[in-house]
Amino acid sequence: MLGNVSGKHRSPVRGSSLEFAQYRKYVPGDDTRRLDWRTWGRSDRFYIKEFEADTNLRLCLLIDTSGSMAFGPAGATRLDYARRLAGTLAYLAAQQGDAVGLWSLAHESIEIPARRGAAHLGVVLDQMGGLQPLGGTNLLLMLHDAAEKIRQRALVIVFSDLFVAPDELKSAIQHLRFRRHDVAVFHLLDRKELDFDFDRPARFIDMEGGEAVLVDPSLIARNYREAVRQYLAELDDLVRTTGLDYHRVTIDEPYDAVLARFLLGRTPKKRAR
Amino acid sequence: MRCSHDSFSAAPRRNGRVNSDACGQEFTRDSVTFLQPALLAALPLAALPVIIHLIHLYRRRQVKWAAMIFLLAAQRMNKGLSRLRQILILALRVLAVAALIFVITRPLAGGWLGLTGGAPETVLILVDRSASMEQQNLATGISKRLAGLRNIAKAINDAVGTRSHLVLIDSALGVPQPIEKADALIDLPQTEPTDTAADIPALLQNALDYITTNKTGRTDIWLLSDLQQSDWDASSGRWETLRGAFATMRGVRFHLLCYPQRADDDLGIRVDRVTRRETSEKAELLLDMQIARQVDQPQPMEVPLRLVVNGTATSTKAALQGNQLVLQGYAIPIDKTMKRGWGRVELPADAAPANNVFHFVFDDPPPLHSVIVSDDPAEAGPLSAALLAPADPSRKYTATVLGVSRAAEIPWDDTALIVWHAPIPQPEDALTRQLHTHVAQGRSIVFLPPESPDATEIFGLHWEGWDTAAAREAPLVEWWRNDADLLANTRDGAALPVGSVEVTRRCGIAGDGVPLARLGARTPLLVRSSHTERGSAYFLGTLPGPAASSLARDGVVMFALLHRALSEGGRTLGKAQQRLAAASALGDEGRKWKRVDDSAESLLAGMLPLRAGIVVSGDQITALNRPLGEDAPQTLSTNSLNELFAGLDFRVLTDSLENARSLTNEVWRTFLVVMAIALLVEALLSLPPRRAVAARGMMTASAPVASPARRREPAESAV
Repeated sequence: MLGNVSGKHRSPVRGSSLEFAQYRKYVPGDDTRRLDWRTWGRSDRFYIKEFEADTNLRLCLLIDTSGSMAFGPAGATRLDYARRLAGTLAYLAAQQGDAVGLWSLAHESIEIPARRGAAHLGVVLDQMGGLQPLGGTNLLLMLHDAAEKIRQRALVIVFSDLFVAPDELKSAIQHLRFRRHDVAVFHLLDRKELDFDFDRPARFIDMEGGEAVLVDPSLIARNYREAVRQYLAELDDLVRTTGLDYHRVTIDEPYDAVLARFLLGRTPKKRAR
Repeated sequence: MRCSHDSFSAAPRRNGRVNSDACGQEFTRDSVTFLQPALLAALPLAALPVIIHLIHLYRRRQVKWAAMIFLLAAQRMNKGLSRLRQILILALRVLAVAALIFVITRPLAGGWLGLTGGAPETVLILVDRSASMEQQNLATGISKRLAGLRNIAKAINDAVGTRSHLVLIDSALGVPQPIEKADALIDLPQTEPTDTAADIPALLQNALDYITTNKTGRTDIWLLSDLQQSDWDASSGRWETLRGAFATMRGVRFHLLCYPQRADDDLGIRVDRVTRRETSEKAELLLDMQIARQVDQPQPMEVPLRLVVNGTATSTKAALQGNQLVLQGYAIPIDKTMKRGWGRVELPADAAPANNVFHFVFDDPPPLHSVIVSDDPAEAGPLSAALLAPADPSRKYTATVLGVSRAAEIPWDDTALIVWHAPIPQPEDALTRQLHTHVAQGRSIVFLPPESPDATEIFGLHWEGWDTAAAREAPLVEWWRNDADLLANTRDGAALPVGSVEVTRRCGIAGDGVPLARLGARTPLLVRSSHTERGSAYFLGTLPGPAASSLARDGVVMFALLHRALSEGGRTLGKAQQRLAAASALGDEGRKWKRVDDSAESLLAGMLPLRAGIVVSGDQITALNRPLGEDAPQTLSTNSLNELFAGLDFRVLTDSLENARSLTNEVWRTFLVVMAIALLVEALLSLPPRRAVAARGMMTASAPVASPARRREPAESAV
């Protein structure tokens, strides 16, 4: 992670810390002071010895607050789940001295730039607690907006149900990555949305637009599941092509386990050992 | 209407117009009617599944849903087969309910009955029991009469059960007979086979009388017949009267069950004349016989003949080349002591058994005696001369002229014809009763107008008065009936010269009779009374003498007229007689007669005159045979049938003996099966699709998807 000050995170650039990172072939222009002469003596070839550079972290939390985020039982909606994850991560980051920012774009826009400090964390958490799920989804707009407005490289974590077209989502992710941001996505789904476990016909009302659809589940359940399967397959393809740090989560999972899995997944192998 | 002669088909007519439904579509016995048609009103209930579906559609619980993109995508995918499946399920539910309703309405295959209006109050069953109705299917032995009765019985049982009052009228007896249930039709004596002819207009007249007398309300008339032309007498003026009478009645509906199919290769035999001839050496019977068949391309064949005389049978063969073989003077040797007796000729059995046997009797023929009652020698002379001249040289003719005052001296038992040129006796007069008895015995009377006619009526007719003016305007006969009765054409087809008869004095004739000759359009000259069952009574509206007409002068017409009346009256003379099987064939004392042939089937006394055979009573012996009209293959055409019933509510069902199916059949089981199948298919279509468990497992996984790109960036930081 690239930061302005020295911190506890590995920087994507090689630095001058004491921790060896790797060897790299010498190319003209490299600092000759960093040539490993011992290796030259053994192999008669020039190698540059690189060391890890430690830096601080800018954590930008992007929370989708569209109407669909209100799905789920009262007190355990998708947005509640996202808040728990995001709040915990914000707290962890702040405890490590990292800067934390919050982005949300729905019926009202929230843009809190990443800053360090306990006071700032309080502001972020307050704003996070006040988020209301309402209206149509603006996820793509929010991602593109964040990609333009977050000037320094940051870890961008998106909390959303991702009910958008995968190809458009791919474009937004690539935009973020073009800005050299590290992007992670928590894809929050409810088990009902996956199983579509309804027996009787019902009137389904869109939580984002109010549109009503009369549906006999016995007639369309198979097709529904097929549509979900295709959508998830497209997302998997998107993850493979963009290198996205993607986490598909059902909101009935314990969020501590989800966080642990996320954090362990991002821990460098050597350090993990 | 299309009446198929070889298939079971029916088409309805109403008010003389072709029913628009029936015009392009043949009504078959597979058409469906309902025994409980009122329950058809519940048919809209079949829409219940649709209504319930719609109600559920608009009363569904509401679910707030986020993943609408999947729902809409699923619906888009669902617009094909799934939509069809949904429609199919609804249609099957509707079908199941409709089938259930049809089951409880008791559908009846055989829509010709037209019973959708419910059971009528009265059902009249008119049965043609003529000899031709005994044509049978050789494979099954079922005759047209029996097949028709069975079909009608089953149809009535299925359609009305015992809800209607059932009345049988048969053509042979013509007496309405109430019956308890339709099944009895098969076993009743009134529906047994006969060798009679059928008078269908008279049968319908009986039905009309019954309806009028008993005020039967809504009535169905079922008529079973083979449409034989001679029985239907389509040219009779009675049809117009019947049509008019039935047309004024409301709620009378005709069902005509017809078996017009004729038997193939049917052979018929008849004996025209039997003469006993005796020489010094031998005695023999001379028979004039005819064997006939009706085939398009006749092939020569040998016809086995069996001849029975007084119980002694002999066999021979006759070579039949064309469609007809006439055997003149075929001799059968008999014992010289056999002066009188009986016999029959038989053909091998075929599909029409009624015309395979002809019975005959023989005896010395009695003299044909006639009596002229007249005080006018000028008129009695020519009459007597004509009646004494022999028309048949083998017969003896006698005639007596009696004055009016001596009319009581008429030898009633020996007289074949009375020519009554005298005032009509008063109804209470004994002479009137004797004249009625004379005619009732099958004899003939010809009434000639007296000089001073009065309005006294006899046999339904009376004189009106002399009219010379009309005679001056129309002195010649303009019309006469040349197909039957006294003025019919001769055997070789030549017409009598009736048109050249001049009538200068005419006496008017009034009353109920059938005109046989007219001077003008409304001026009858010769009328036959309609009030006689046996025998004949005629009114001739002129006199034979030159002062009134040219009958005596020209002679031919008067000779033919008198001798035909004499011959008709002479049929009941003598002790051995040939008669046509009919209810009145044996007179009022039918119980005295019994069958001479012990091998013949036992018959009820009332049925005896209806069957062909030899019957005896004392020294009287009579051969009963079918009317020859029953041998004629001609049947009434469909158009003629339509014309006869024009303006009436009628349906025609044409059946054949080969058709083994019944007219009606309850088919509720079929609808039950349809309902069961519909429910079964609906259940199969409604089964929820099997869950894709493996897919669900994959989709609900919460593990992060491994990213190759991530693995290439080990330097990235954890939070």
